[in-house]
Amino acid sequence: MTPTEINWPVALRATDSGEQAAAMRALRDVLHHGLRIALSSRGDVSEAHLEDFVQESLIRILDRLDQFQGRSKFTTWAQAIALNTAFTELRRKRWQDVSLDALLADGERLAEPGMMAEDVLGAQEDRQHLVAVLREAIEHELTPKQRAAILGELREMPFDQIVELLGTSRSAAYKMLHDARRALKQRLQAAGITGTDIQNAFNL
Amino acid sequence: MKPPDQQLTSAQVGSVLKMLALTTERELNCSECLQHVGEFAETRLASQPVDAVMASIEQHLALCPECREEFEALMTILQAGQ
Repeated sequence: MTPTEINWPVALRATDSGEQAAAMRALRDVLHHGLRIALSSRGDVSEAHLEDFVQESLIRILDRLDQFQGRSKFTTWAQAIALNTAFTELRRKRWQDVSLDALLADGERLAEPGMMAEDVLGAQEDRQHLVAVLREAIEHELTPKQRAAILGELREMPFDQIVELLGTSRSAAYKMLHDARRALKQRLQAAGITGTDIQNAFNL
Repeated sequence: MKPPDQQLTSAQVGSVLKMLALTTERELNCSECLQHVGEFAETRLASQPVDAVMASIEQHLALCPECREEFEALMTILQAGQ
């Protein structure tokens, strides 16, 4: 039977252990093949990593079977979960030793001349003005935890790592980050800065 | 351990400013995006028009580099299977 012919939610819930095991093996192959394609260009993913990602993904997929609404192919839904599992782990490894205090100290350095690369400040006055307003807003408009969350985002820290640093739930961290972004956006708007200004200044 | 000890680049500052410009009152979070991103990927692959839910996924992907990275990887897998 090919992956497109399997009724996955039924097969994975089958009381017949043989049928369920066969579905698990087939899904394992699908996920392994997909992750191999998606991660082939990375030098930091070994065959053992792939196996771990597939195992962890299978557990998560079985836990969430009730959430599959049939609005996409089952294998697409499952691949999305597998990719999320793999990338979350790869990002976590990169950031695992960063502390909240270190991130906040990073924020205190925002105003230091050496903090911004030359290409940020450059020669453009509009870009310098934008960065100055952003710095001032991060310093004055946010709570310490909101500031840490935004600085994490500025440093391209993964969301799961920000959640861990803040010591809160994903939903609380998301709200904190969303509130912080809204506060900063309002400050930029109050300074007369528009989305077009940002796009023009940074060639976005 | 300190955060990566490098200067903030134009791309980093620009991407946060872009995020601020795109921020709206109501947004999907990453879990909600993950729940629907498969459907969004298939819709995109079939070049079909997006409905309101799919538009909110698109907005989240514009804001969230992690979900965007995973979406692009998903598209790579789906395209390889075509």
